[in-house]
Amino acid sequence: MKSDEMDAVFGALASEARRRILDVLKKEPGCNVNRVCEFFDIGRVAVMKHLDVLEAANLLVSEKVGRERLLWFNPVPIHLIHDRWTTEFSAYWAGPLARLKYRLENAPIPIQRKKGGHRG
Amino acid sequence: MAESGKSVFRIVIDGSQEAIFSELTATDRPLGAIFNARMHTTGLAPGGRMQMRTVSGDHVIVDGDVLEYDPPRRFAHTHRFTMMDDPVCKVTYELRAVTGGIEVTLTVDDMPLGTKTAKEMDGGGMSILANLKSIVETGRPPMGTRMKYGMFDMLEFVLPKKTKSEHWPLEKQREKEPA
Repeated sequence: MKSDEMDAVFGALASEARRRILDVLKKEPGCNVNRVCEFFDIGRVAVMKHLDVLEAANLLVSEKVGRERLLWFNPVPIHLIHDRWTTEFSAYWAGPLARLKYRLENAPIPIQRKKGGHRG
Repeated sequence: MAESGKSVFRIVIDGSQEAIFSELTATDRPLGAIFNARMHTTGLAPGGRMQMRTVSGDHVIVDGDVLEYDPPRRFAHTHRFTMMDDPVCKVTYELRAVTGGIEVTLTVDDMPLGTKTAKEMDGGGMSILANLKSIVETGRPPMGTRMKYGMFDMLEFVLPKKTKSEHWPLEKQREKEPA
């Protein structure tokens, strides 16, 4: 991964709103822009801007189907970052430690919806 | 029946489109990007049959039909893990030139959600593209992957009997043809 590509990924991830957009897409792969907007109180234009930043960092893949823009989370850049600093050995120990932390903190990744939205 | 879904994986690789396409479709060597499997095929053209077998050729891991073959742009095939009884899904590789290199998109359609196949495809899609990038840009897969491939060869005997190549004839269509 070239350093400017990596800058784009870290830049894109340095925003809670954009991280939450990725949570939404992971949970609902292929959903449209309106669906993503339901999770946020910021306007549609702001959401679209976030989507563009994520797409420029290759963390998001979008496809135009008819008049809709459907969105997928692309995990590959994060995988490449993981590969850069993790060896088979450290992954072996890091995995259980991370799971222990989740279990002790009893905290799944939260996705909050804006009121009024409904599950598809 | 499980609900079906679609996953998309994308990467940009600094290399020639032909070289990248060949790493995904070559039949004369193990494919380092795709779990070091060897592609066996009756012919890479729509309607052809294809299988991903172990290096020894003794076991079939994936069985499928070629749907599209348009080098060096698109390759699509149906995909069934021989180890699992899940419905067939579809795998498409799409290559195009962008600034900075060649963009490779791997799409999995009709993925049976919640099945073992879906789980394997989600992890597999990422590794295939990451390994492909490493092979094209540095000449070989990353160290961890190379170790894994060494283990695959040593541990081939643990593969279930049902994946033995004798149970998965490449030319399945023959049965349908008149004698």
